[in-house]
Amino acid sequence: MKRARTTRAAAILLGPFFVLFTLVMVLPIGYAVWLSLFTEKQSGLGFGGTETVFSGLDNYTAALGDRAFREGFGVLLGYCLFYIPLLLVGALALALLLDSTLARARRFFQLALFLPHAVPGIIAALIWVYLYTPQLSPVVSAMESGGIGFDFFSPDGALPSIVNIALWEWLGYNMVIFYAALQAIDRSVLEAATVDGAGAWRTALSIKVPLIRSSLVMVALFTVIGSLQLFTEPLILNKGTGSAVSSTWTPNMYAYTAAFERNDYGLAAAASILLALTAALLSFVVTRFTGRKGKKA
Amino acid sequence: MSRSPSRTSLAVVGTATALALLTACGGSGDDSATGTDGKPVSITFWGWAKGSKEVVDAFNASHKNIKVVYEEIPSGNAGGYAKISNAVKAGNAPDLVSIEYPQLPEYVSQGALQDIGQYFTEDIRKKLLPQAVELTTLGGKNWAVPFDASPQSFYYRKDLFEKYGVEVPKTWDEFRKAAEKIKKADKKARIGTFFPDDPTTFQAMAWQAGAQWYKPEGDTWKVSTADAATNKVADYWQGLLDDDLIRANASFSPEWTNSLKNGGTVGYLGAAWGAGVLKGTLPEQSGKWAVAPMPSWDGKPASGMLGGSTFAVTKTSKKAKAAVEFATWMSTTEEGIKARIESGTSSAFPAAAALRPVAKKSFDAGFYGGEDIYQVFEGAATSIGPNWNWGPTTGTTNTTMKDQFGKVASGGTTIKDAVKAGHDATVAELKKRGLKVEDAG
Repeated sequence: MKRARTTRAAAILLGPFFVLFTLVMVLPIGYAVWLSLFTEKQSGLGFGGTETVFSGLDNYTAALGDRAFREGFGVLLGYCLFYIPLLLVGALALALLLDSTLARARRFFQLALFLPHAVPGIIAALIWVYLYTPQLSPVVSAMESGGIGFDFFSPDGALPSIVNIALWEWLGYNMVIFYAALQAIDRSVLEAATVDGAGAWRTALSIKVPLIRSSLVMVALFTVIGSLQLFTEPLILNKGTGSAVSSTWTPNMYAYTAAFERNDYGLAAAASILLALTAALLSFVVTRFTGRKGKKA
Repeated sequence: MSRSPSRTSLAVVGTATALALLTACGGSGDDSATGTDGKPVSITFWGWAKGSKEVVDAFNASHKNIKVVYEEIPSGNAGGYAKISNAVKAGNAPDLVSIEYPQLPEYVSQGALQDIGQYFTEDIRKKLLPQAVELTTLGGKNWAVPFDASPQSFYYRKDLFEKYGVEVPKTWDEFRKAAEKIKKADKKARIGTFFPDDPTTFQAMAWQAGAQWYKPEGDTWKVSTADAATNKVADYWQGLLDDDLIRANASFSPEWTNSLKNGGTVGYLGAAWGAGVLKGTLPEQSGKWAVAPMPSWDGKPASGMLGGSTFAVTKTSKKAKAAVEFATWMSTTEEGIKARIESGTSSAFPAAAALRPVAKKSFDAGFYGGEDIYQVFEGAATSIGPNWNWGPTTGTTNTTMKDQFGKVASGGTTIKDAVKAGHDATVAELKKRGLKVEDAG
């Protein structure tokens, strides 16, 4: 009796989730898989319209065989190696500063550092494009008068440019996570450290950081997965400028370009599925990894 | 750049979701297409060309049988084409759409448009520039009503050219000398701009030099994107860039506009429609600009076409007759041309030869010191190279070239290699679609 009621309650409470999950996740994924198995063929000079034919895994081999698609993953790897250490160290340093006894006007800094995160990515990218553009940007002209010539749109400059935008957007957000974790540390532990003669530095590095290690791991891994969908910022750099950011710079952009510039929906679907599989795999690894760490701690 | 795994997966299937939803929304049934029962036929028109709204208003005011609903969309390469493609795929496309000549074959080959030969008859066609009609006739069928011809033209700051003692160049050799002279006179000034984001300007230059990128031979596409004429043009522009005689800015970007405003850029290699754009962008420089024919390789007038609009009827429209009637009105009647040019922002050069005097009369040329700019366009239009075709994979060709052009300015690649990359991508794409290709280098 009691068991049956529990089951019904569970069904009612979980129902809306599963309905939405089916509508916005399962069905579209199924449709994308379906699309990815077909290709459009033409004949003659191509002006007789198209014929949709089943092509098996051809779209998948085409995507994997395309250097531009593979290079997209290379760009993501470079992005993660560059961005994640900067993000972690920066956010952690700011959180420790705020948490230290030295800090003044904590609430103000917390808010000020978090504010950029409230700006939508597309607006942020537009603002940064302005700041990167030679002849327009006060930043670039200041750098030039200081003898620093840096082309934010060049092949070598593009990655740092995007990393900078991402840092600006996410530093404050992650700082808040670390700060919250630091605040949750039992004050008696910190008092004990002070009594034992540990200074501020020692307390921070030997007591605080190890105690919030699970937050650090979580932020790092979620950022890796979030980076997979890098799209908005590079797209703005691709569209609005003559920059070296190509239309297939990241795998997400590759899928977008395939569908909307090249009218190849099959290839776009296949590229999306491949990216989704990568994301699923990483999600699995993250869940396992963080789960185990949680138990140990 | 979000971080939770569930949102990751959501975004990954975003494209698919959009497609699924679009498909679900498709298939709108439509009412009668004749309009003879006293009720006007209502057609929807998507476009972005300057003055379109004014034209539609004028048409609606003077016609009782057809009512046009105009919806402005972003310009083609800024997202308009993606919007049209998606709408056609989803089955809820408007009746009439603006498509530029280079993109028309791609839409025809995707099966997005319908043959309008039945309504777009011979007596209408013969009013229009033959090259323009040629570009809209594919596989022996008529796919669109040409609106304007877009001969190339060279816009320059007359006051600054005089101040620096520079003659208006007639050949590309003279253009280079003029570029050197301008840079010498003012080390911050350049004669013009290489647009890394816009391969179409380069394509028009190749066309002008006599290149022939896509040639239909029987049922085979002969693709020769990297022919001798194209390579000559590529090397020439590479030389100008290498010697810092020309700017590299995105077209119509704030950066480009800014350098025009402060005299850092004193020329613009564009097309007829560019006259209205300059006038609208730089009102404070009124009277300081002039138009000249494009410099050529041998000093004889020569021109390609840069952009240029056509009006095409979508596959799903059941009101092709009304749509073609409206399109024909826009392209071939005095009222249609007058309404557009008098909007003040359009300097379109009509494909209908008889209407050019109307356009000339309607355009306020004060910005060009009263110069007869339509006379210049007229001369350029007669020199448009007749042998050019656009292929069915313009999207792929242009995207690839644009990606490579972005690396040219910083030395990552050369214009020649960028064009070659576009060539290879074009050949591969044609093959992928199952078409016969002859790779002619």
